[in-house]
This record gives sequence, structure tokens and C-alpha cells, in this order.
Amino acid sequence: MSFFQVRPNYSSLARCAPITEKPGTDRAMRVAIQRARQGKKAASFAQQQAFDAAIAKLVRAIPVDAQVAEWFANESLIPLVKRRWKKILLNPVVIAIALAMAVIGGVFAYRVHERLYDFPGADQARRLLSVASSTRSVILDPLKTDAGALSDLFFMKHRLEHYDIPPEFAEFRTLGSRVFDDDEVHGVAQIWVVEKRMQFFLFPAEKNPKGGSVTDFSDWRFVELEGWTGAVQQRNGVCFMAALRGREKDLAPYLEKRKQ
Amino acid sequence: MSITTKNLPQLYRFCFLMTGDAAKAQEAFQDTVREAALRSARDEPPLDRLWFFRDARWRCLAVSEQGIQAEAGMMEEAEISPVGPMQIEQLDPDQLAVWVSAAPEPQRSALALFYLDEFSVRELLALLEMKAGELSDLISSGRRQFQAWLDATTPHYEE
Repeated sequence: MSFFQVRPNYSSLARCAPITEKPGTDRAMRVAIQRARQGKKAASFAQQQAFDAAIAKLVRAIPVDAQVAEWFANESLIPLVKRRWKKILLNPVVIAIALAMAVIGGVFAYRVHERLYDFPGADQARRLLSVASSTRSVILDPLKTDAGALSDLFFMKHRLEHYDIPPEFAEFRTLGSRVFDDDEVHGVAQIWVVEKRMQFFLFPAEKNPKGGSVTDFSDWRFVELEGWTGAVQQRNGVCFMAALRGREKDLAPYLEKRKQ
Repeated sequence: MSITTKNLPQLYRFCFLMTGDAAKAQEAFQDTVREAALRSARDEPPLDRLWFFRDARWRCLAVSEQGIQAEAGMMEEAEISPVGPMQIEQLDPDQLAVWVSAAPEPQRSALALFYLDEFSVRELLALLEMKAGELSDLISSGRRQFQAWLDATTPHYEE
């Protein structure tokens, strides 16, 4: 908004028109000058401008005392007012922006790091970890046997081939199991075992979108989601995931047992 | 925008117009610059060049109160003459400074700052803490009073 009135008095403004043009002159003043130059009082305005210019010229001719001039020579007398880095950095707005950028950068870095070590099927595994966290035992069919024995059940009852439990977990006693189709993962076998209320998932491996091939991996790879951790292994085009509430170190003893 | 050595002569000229006396102008000028240097040393440098003129203004008014004072009274006014610029050419800067320094406040400050031709109107209003209409009236009446003074002291005879 102009610092002049809402409806500026242009003739009044013209009476204090700048002697020489200056950058950043307000629009109202520019209009006032334009009107004064083109209006009925153009001659009077020109006279005023010439009068002001003559006085300004006289002002510029004011001699500067030699003793005072010494002050001008000392350029370091008044350092240029630069916003110092310290002050800029302590500005709340700058701090807020920096924090926001740090958070965004952190999330981005985390996501990049996460994807960097991802493996085919990691997204499906994470999705099933969320299933694990919300599963209640009542929705599984009660079944008390060794986990390794369920491979035959899955094949015979559900035509799920190669749904084998790895030897590390084959001897664990089960509490129940079920087979279900998820929106994104089809033919998922879920087993609940007694040991630490761990859950096993078997599901089809993700195919390479280019060639449709599946690359198995026999080492254990890990995924994490909301306090749950899954150890995943892929064989014969089928992924096996052992999931429990905890960290990677909680699963490690079971995986090392086989190595021994 | 900061003040540099380029702006300092203008600051001195302002002090001279305000006081009409070289010694007083020098005193006000040096006190202002010294204060700015002290602030800079305290890591609180003046924010902009307006600070210098604002500070110098009050110092000039303070030093002007010392010694002989101009009598307050109604000054005559005259229409701006086409020969006004030529009359002005015959003046010494000292005469102009004496005339400006005799004007009452805030007209004195308004005239001194306006004729420095250093500031935009926006900056002038900020410095003088007044509205555009007030500034216009002060400058306009000052101009007519100065013309009347010119007519009385520097007659110009057209050829």
C-alpha cells in the first residue's frame, strides 16, 4: 500500500517532487510529476524544479572542512553493515528452514539408503509385516505340528508348490496357519509358531518385470516396519519370511543356528 | 543499505545546513560518526544510512540551542520567480545554511534533508516522521519564504 493517502493529492505531492529522479519513487509521486509536467501549471512546475535544482547545486557546493574530510578517508571507521553469518544463522526463520531441510534430507537419505539395500520382494515383505502386526490368533486355523511338516499341507490342499520351511525354522512348533490372498500378494501362507510368537510367511517371489525371471537368494535379507523385523530368503521362486516384533538382532540367533 | 565514505560528505552538509555554523556542524557530525563507530565496535552497527541522518538531526538541534538563537516570527512569502535560480547562483553556501538553520523545526530538517537531494520522498517521510501533505506544505512554504528572502537580499535585475 502506498504511504500516501488512498486518494493522493497530486498537486500537493508535486510541490515536494524529488529534485532528481530516484529509484523506488512511489507510483503516486510519479503520477503527480507526470500531471504537473503536462497540466496547466506545467510552467510553474518547471520553475519550481529549476529553483530546487539551483538550491541543490548550492548545497553540493558546501565545502567540507579538511578536518572533517579526514574522517572520510578512514574507510574502516564504520564497517559496512553486513548481516553477519552468525546473526543470519540465528534468525528463527533460517533455523526453521534449516530444520525443515534437515528433516526432508534425512527422510530422503533414509529412503535412498533403504532402497539401496532392498531386494526383489522387499515391498511385499514389508506389506506382510504389517499383516503380521495386525494378525490375531483367532483368524488362523489351529494346527499343532512342526512347521516343516506344513509344506506338504500347502501343496496338497492349496496347490502351493515349493512352499518349504527353511531348516532353521522347520522344527518350530506351530499354533496355527492359514492361506490367503492379499490385494497385492497372492497365495500367501501364514504360520504362527510358539517360539517367541513368531510368524512365518511364504509367498511368490517378485518376478523381474523385464524378463519375468526370478532371482533366488539363499542368504538372509532383512526388512523392518513399525517395530517388526523380517528375515527373508528366496528359493525356487518362493519367498520365506520369519517375522517377529523386535530388531534384527532378535532374529540373528535363529539364523546362526544353521551355520553352526 | 549501509553508509560509506561516499555518504559522509552528505551527512556533513546536512549538519551544516541544520546548524549554519561549521564548528557546530563538525561537532554534530563527528559525534554521530563516533557513535556509529562505537555501535559497530559493540557489534550493533547502524542498520541503514537513515540512522546517521536521524541521529545527526537531533545532535544538530541540540547544538543549535547553544548560543544565539534566531527570533521566531512570521516570514514573508513570495511567488517563485523565474529569476530565482539566477539569484541563488549569486549566493554562498554559507548564506543558504544560515537561512535554513534559522527556519523553525520541523521545517528546518525538512528543507535540509530535501535539498540534500539524497533521499526519496518515502525516506524523507520516514526520517521526518510526518505525512506527505505536511512535508509538501513545509517545502512549499519554505520555497516561497526563501524567494522572499532572495528578493530582499539578492535583487536580480533583468537585462
